[in-house]
Amino acid sequence: MAVIELRDIVKTFGATHALDHLDLVVEEGEVHGFLGPNGAGKSTTIRVLLGLLRTDSGSALMLGGDPWHDAARLHRRLAYVPGDVSLWPGLTGGEVIDVLARMRGGLDESRRADMVERFELDPSKKSRTYSKGNRQKVALVAALASRADLYLLDEPTSGLDPLMEAEFQKAVLELKGEGATVLLSSHILAEAEALSDRISIIRAGRVVQSGTLSELRHLTRTTVIAETDRPATAIAALPGVHEVELRGERVTFDVDSDHLEGTVSALAALGVRSLAAHPPTLEELFLRQYGDEVRA
Amino acid sequence: MSPRASAAAADPTSTRSRHAKRPSPADPSTSALTGVGHLLRLILRLDRVRLPLWLVGLGGTIVASALAVPPLYDTPEKVAGYSRAVGASPVNYLMSGRQAGLDTLGGIVANEISQVAQLGICLMVMFLVVRHTRAEEESGRAELVRSTVVGRHAATLAGLVYGVAAALLLATITTLSMLAAGLAVNGSVTYGAGLALLGVVYTAVTLVAVQVSTSARGALGLAGAAVAVGYLVRGVGAMEDNALVWASPFGWSQRMDAFGHERWWPAVLLLAATALLLGLAGWLTASRDFGGGLLDTRPGHERAGRLLHTPFGLVARVQRGLVIGWAIGLVLLGLLYGAVIPTIPDLIASNPDMADIVGGSADAEDALVDAFLAYIFVFMAVISCGFVVTSVLRLRTEEETGRAETVLATPVSRTTWLAATAVVTTLAITTLTVLMGLGLAVGYAVGAGEWDQVLPQVAGQMSYLPGALVLGAFALALHGLLPRATGLAWAAVALVALQVMLGQLLDLPDAVQALSPYWHLAAVPVDDFDVVPFVLLLVVAAALGAAGLWGYRRRDAVSG
Repeated sequence: MAVIELRDIVKTFGATHALDHLDLVVEEGEVHGFLGPNGAGKSTTIRVLLGLLRTDSGSALMLGGDPWHDAARLHRRLAYVPGDVSLWPGLTGGEVIDVLARMRGGLDESRRADMVERFELDPSKKSRTYSKGNRQKVALVAALASRADLYLLDEPTSGLDPLMEAEFQKAVLELKGEGATVLLSSHILAEAEALSDRISIIRAGRVVQSGTLSELRHLTRTTVIAETDRPATAIAALPGVHEVELRGERVTFDVDSDHLEGTVSALAALGVRSLAAHPPTLEELFLRQYGDEVRA
Repeated sequence: MSPRASAAAADPTSTRSRHAKRPSPADPSTSALTGVGHLLRLILRLDRVRLPLWLVGLGGTIVASALAVPPLYDTPEKVAGYSRAVGASPVNYLMSGRQAGLDTLGGIVANEISQVAQLGICLMVMFLVVRHTRAEEESGRAELVRSTVVGRHAATLAGLVYGVAAALLLATITTLSMLAAGLAVNGSVTYGAGLALLGVVYTAVTLVAVQVSTSARGALGLAGAAVAVGYLVRGVGAMEDNALVWASPFGWSQRMDAFGHERWWPAVLLLAATALLLGLAGWLTASRDFGGGLLDTRPGHERAGRLLHTPFGLVARVQRGLVIGWAIGLVLLGLLYGAVIPTIPDLIASNPDMADIVGGSADAEDALVDAFLAYIFVFMAVISCGFVVTSVLRLRTEEETGRAETVLATPVSRTTWLAATAVVTTLAITTLTVLMGLGLAVGYAVGAGEWDQVLPQVAGQMSYLPGALVLGAFALALHGLLPRATGLAWAAVALVALQVMLGQLLDLPDAVQALSPYWHLAAVPVDDFDVVPFVLLLVVAAALGAAGLWGYRRRDAVSG
């Protein structure tokens, strides 16, 4: 059963088409990665789901209700983390967590204590003294400490250090284990890859790709930088290899993820002295895959 | 009354209709108003200092004024004398309206406190309500709140309950202080009710303003303009003794005639206006996006203009809207006050009692006009202090939001940054003072049909300029030396307003009155211009500014 079902959603702000016939389906119990570059419409979509924005047209369904008209009722079963967290400067982090949880209808005390500890948050400090990362942690703890059916997380790790990011990933997987549904928006492909069952990619207000990771495998390429004993001239001819740059013993190229194995074997045969590989950023991906199409 | 303008009715094209057939889980406990209780608890927690400060500050002033009157007017002759003098004072009508029962102690108390109480209650609810509605929405905090179980109209209703509660508390303090002064019960209760209802109407006005403007500042501007218009319309109506008083909530409140022949039907007007405004606010809430309003922001320039190449230019650009808004308000105020001055001789001629007191001679008329002018000059100067403090304390906002940090990370020094604001504020208040003097002079010239007073009147207004400069410099000193206590700058404005409006009645000790710069300045045009206090106050302002700079260069930057 779909927990979120957006069909043909249009939302304009004056002349700007923030959402342009957007479709998004999130099934119950899945972690759904919602990927897109800045300004693609991720936050607008989440604000539509929160009942903060009214759509111009299209149909929206969340947790079996209408996000705009049933907003308050649906929010009993939902928790939200904004990407840009603003807190009441005079309240402590602990007070903010309690205030938000109380409004949501209560929180799980043991989970609150657990999350505060895991995210190494000092809940006795006034919010005005928190760094961006610590404000983000307050919002995260407030959301994760309450038991919800649906978690809407809008770039939830912005400002977190890598240790805390790992802790966040563990927490999300625990939520999933409990059967909760998570919509995780991000502009970092790796983060979504690590957590998501399915991914939707949004560009200019439209979902351009949606599916499981393996279905989208063709989208993910790996950038490889290698030094070989013999010049890697033959690499360019292999299937799935793109953008080859050869400088003496050093070769740089991109390879489609489903052709990675064959390419690595071919490299090994040339005598690998050093090898570095990293996934492309989402922006790189978009430039490659959709750049022309979107401009056209 | 709930702003229950149904979102469904307002929007037939929405997505809802498509799901109408879908059975929705029955949960009658959740509505557009769900969460009001939680919001109110949050508001009370956030304002556990602020609300008591408003009540103690305003209420204390009212209590002191109410208790000060009976000893001053302890014989029937003195009461009658007050009644005659006020009956002959167009300034009083303009500022305080036509209070009923001026031949009783109750009427005197009501007349003396009405300016502070009525304007005070309106400003109080306006600031409190905007702070918890549009300001929260603008900051993004309301988004977190709205993601919980909080209905669409809950914030509006919480703002209403809070504004009404604050108004009721202040009105109760007022009524109790009147009873403590030994005034008639009926009049005291009626006066308190009229005051509370005035606060309630302006709570509703503010709730509409926060739907219309997308910024808290804009909402304060709109609501403040509504307060000013209501106050001025009532004042002019009272001065000219015409039906204009019935065009203003201030007039409705006052025409409940506390301490005269009390009547309650004007309260119906106040309640009806409140209901209408709340309906409008509810409808606007339901038909707008979160964060949106009626006044949408337009796209701006893609490149910074020449002005923005210096810190001074940046500050000037950032404060442009503030200065323009104040300029419009102060010029209109000046025009209006200027235009009513030439009607004073007619008022005297039409009122034999007045003529008896003032004397029919042209000299006496001139003296009355001069007294009027002196009061208007100082009154407008005190209002302009609000601009100066706002303008200087933008430094504080810039620092708290981290924007100052961004600027100071460039080669701009702290001295330059502070000086940029000081220069912008000084130039702006000087210009504003000229403009409000010009407004007054032009209003007068048009009304009187003679233009020879323009220069003297502008000069007269300018003679009060050092007062605002001292307050601005005080705010700057606080910013440099006690950045956590910049709120004291507003306390200083309140003290100055108190000294100007109620200093005599309260019989404040000279040592306290001397804290107000206006106490030192010559009361132009009643008295001749005196250059000594004028220059001394400029020196004081410069010293305070230097102290602020000294402190700012030495202290830590306060971030976040």
